[in-house]
Amino acid sequence: MLFLIAKNDWRNIRADRTLWAIALLLTTTILYGVHNGASWVDFQKRTIQGALADEAERHAAIKQGIEDANAGRTSPPSWKDPRSPYAVGYRLGSRFATMPPAPLAALAVGQSDLLPYYFRVTVNSRDTMLGNDELENPVHLLSGRFDLAFVIIYLFPLVILAVSYNLISGDKEDGTLALTLSTPVSLPSLAMGKIAFRAAFVLTLGAVLSVAGALLSGIDLSAPGAAPRLLLWMGAVAAYSIFWFGLAVLINAMGRNSATNALALSGLWLVFVLLIPSLLNVGIKTAHPVPSRVEMIQAMRHASDAVTAERSRLMAEFLEDHPELAPAASADTNAQFAVRSVAMTEELERRIQPVLDEFDKRISRQQQLADQYRFLSPAILTQAALYDLAGTGVHRYKHFLNLAANYHQQWQAHIQPKMMQTVKLSTASIDELPRWHWQEEDTADVLGRAGTHTAALALTAAFVIAIGVLALRRFPVVG
Amino acid sequence: MLEALSLTKAYNGHTALNNLNLTVAAGEVFCLLGANGAGKTTTINLFLNFIPPTSGTAKVNGIDVASHPLESKRYLAYIPEQVMLYRNLTGIENLSYFTELAGCEKYSQAKLLDFLTAAGLQAEAADKRVGSYSKGMRQKVGIAIATARNAKALLLDEPTSGLDPKASNEFSELLKRLSGNGAAILMATHDLFRAKETGTRVGIMKHGNMVAHMKTEELGHADLERIYLEHMHD
Repeated sequence: MLFLIAKNDWRNIRADRTLWAIALLLTTTILYGVHNGASWVDFQKRTIQGALADEAERHAAIKQGIEDANAGRTSPPSWKDPRSPYAVGYRLGSRFATMPPAPLAALAVGQSDLLPYYFRVTVNSRDTMLGNDELENPVHLLSGRFDLAFVIIYLFPLVILAVSYNLISGDKEDGTLALTLSTPVSLPSLAMGKIAFRAAFVLTLGAVLSVAGALLSGIDLSAPGAAPRLLLWMGAVAAYSIFWFGLAVLINAMGRNSATNALALSGLWLVFVLLIPSLLNVGIKTAHPVPSRVEMIQAMRHASDAVTAERSRLMAEFLEDHPELAPAASADTNAQFAVRSVAMTEELERRIQPVLDEFDKRISRQQQLADQYRFLSPAILTQAALYDLAGTGVHRYKHFLNLAANYHQQWQAHIQPKMMQTVKLSTASIDELPRWHWQEEDTADVLGRAGTHTAALALTAAFVIAIGVLALRRFPVVG
Repeated sequence: MLEALSLTKAYNGHTALNNLNLTVAAGEVFCLLGANGAGKTTTINLFLNFIPPTSGTAKVNGIDVASHPLESKRYLAYIPEQVMLYRNLTGIENLSYFTELAGCEKYSQAKLLDFLTAAGLQAEAADKRVGSYSKGMRQKVGIAIATARNAKALLLDEPTSGLDPKASNEFSELLKRLSGNGAAILMATHDLFRAKETGTRVGIMKHGNMVAHMKTEELGHADLERIYLEHMHD
């Protein structure tokens, strides 16, 4: 029965130009979106490659420099002596902490074009590396790049509403409803049959084009976790689409004419896709304002100035704490300089920590609030799920920050003792400098989070459809 | 067969149909006459379960339509004043869809064409889109649907209004054939002449009440008009 209705619907609607116009619109936007995402991923990959090439070049130059200096061919000043742990640790030997694009990154640019995806790690204090940009609320960034996620979150609902705003009202206005309902077919069956065809059309087109676009743009589905992520992506898109079809059924069930339905549905689109996300964003920022970035930079400068001003006292205190590091009176100025710099970095990090902590606390409160209220709009839920699956959302970025911070500590712990002991670095010790290892987020974690969001979406969709079907029972067939 | 038992429909205090008791047996053609708003269409909509009754029952083939709407519709065919079909489909496609929807056997193309030509549609029109059909042609597809569905009961709501006399006459002949095959037909109409010609019984409705009903064989054309007009005077 449903199949028969769906088939008839297809025969009837295919003669209509609207469907083909919509198909063309979807095709162009999806392919353009995927292309945009792919070129961004490409850019990121090239940037990271460039950084690594720079790093390799520098390290080769350091080794060459060490050999030259040892052989007496050159005598570099201490601040750029490749044998000095100070020069290597601060500048010459710095390595990059990089976050490569996740397998599905081309599908959603997300926030990845706003957040750094590589850091230059030196022995300097952590704040100089992380920059500590404000983690923007994801909702606020909806007006980001034109990527596939944008097409799905914004345009898919419009396409769905365009093909289903007159699902039942259109039949009533055309007069075919009365004839259909004079046969043993219930209104819910009719609605579901018509939805089935439209959903199959829109979703198949969307899925085929997305996958085709993804493969064309070089996504490797054999990469670890790529296939299950893509499957869940499809699931989230399907649930989100069904939510909108459900809304169309619900509004049709009210028994108003097609024009009113169209107006009501566009209104709901505005509410769910634009209004709730923006209000939520404003609400969250009002509830937990993040101190201005200028304020934070000021605080850091003050701390830095204070540390410089008090360096003699700090130095004395530091040596009281670490008498074993006290350079002998005869020690060269380099050693004294190194110890002082370590002491000052340590003090600076200690003083800045409360500012950073406060900042992090506010951000995480905002994030918490956003997590709590994202259930208000399926658009936000979908976005959270899609960004997470593409690895361009907040979670993977935080994961990267943590890894980078650890790496920075590792770097400091490796270099600082050498600095203070004024060890002369050999070519072998350059190879021993801590290396950056990117460790991908646990796929199970990602699937768990995105799965929860998808489940919530599916529940919402099922709920809306159920209410719609119930409301159809009161639909005025005549009058 | 069709049966109304104390069938009543009221909208916000206004009684559209008051305590209608009516039986249309197999082979009968019952014509409902009356001014606009007399309750004819309400009666038909109640039999189709398009509106719920305020009280009383409407039965099709002994099945209460309000409690078993889908089952009752298996025996029912409906021809509204305007048979509106899917404009983008051909006559044959429409016929095929509506009969399959009704749960009938899947007819062959030749058989479907037979139904259409038997209903008076020209064979060459059957493959054309319904969007280009005249009202008469669409009514014929409606008849073909009713025939193909082999309906036991037929509800018609002013099916001949706006048809030219020849088309109207052809329509009446088709109805006679259907009732000859044992269908119970309930038809709302303004056409007294057609009612006398095709109907076996007529009922005159006024303000939701059936004020008179009689057998047509006992009446002349003039009698029917006289009785009708008498009842229309307030």
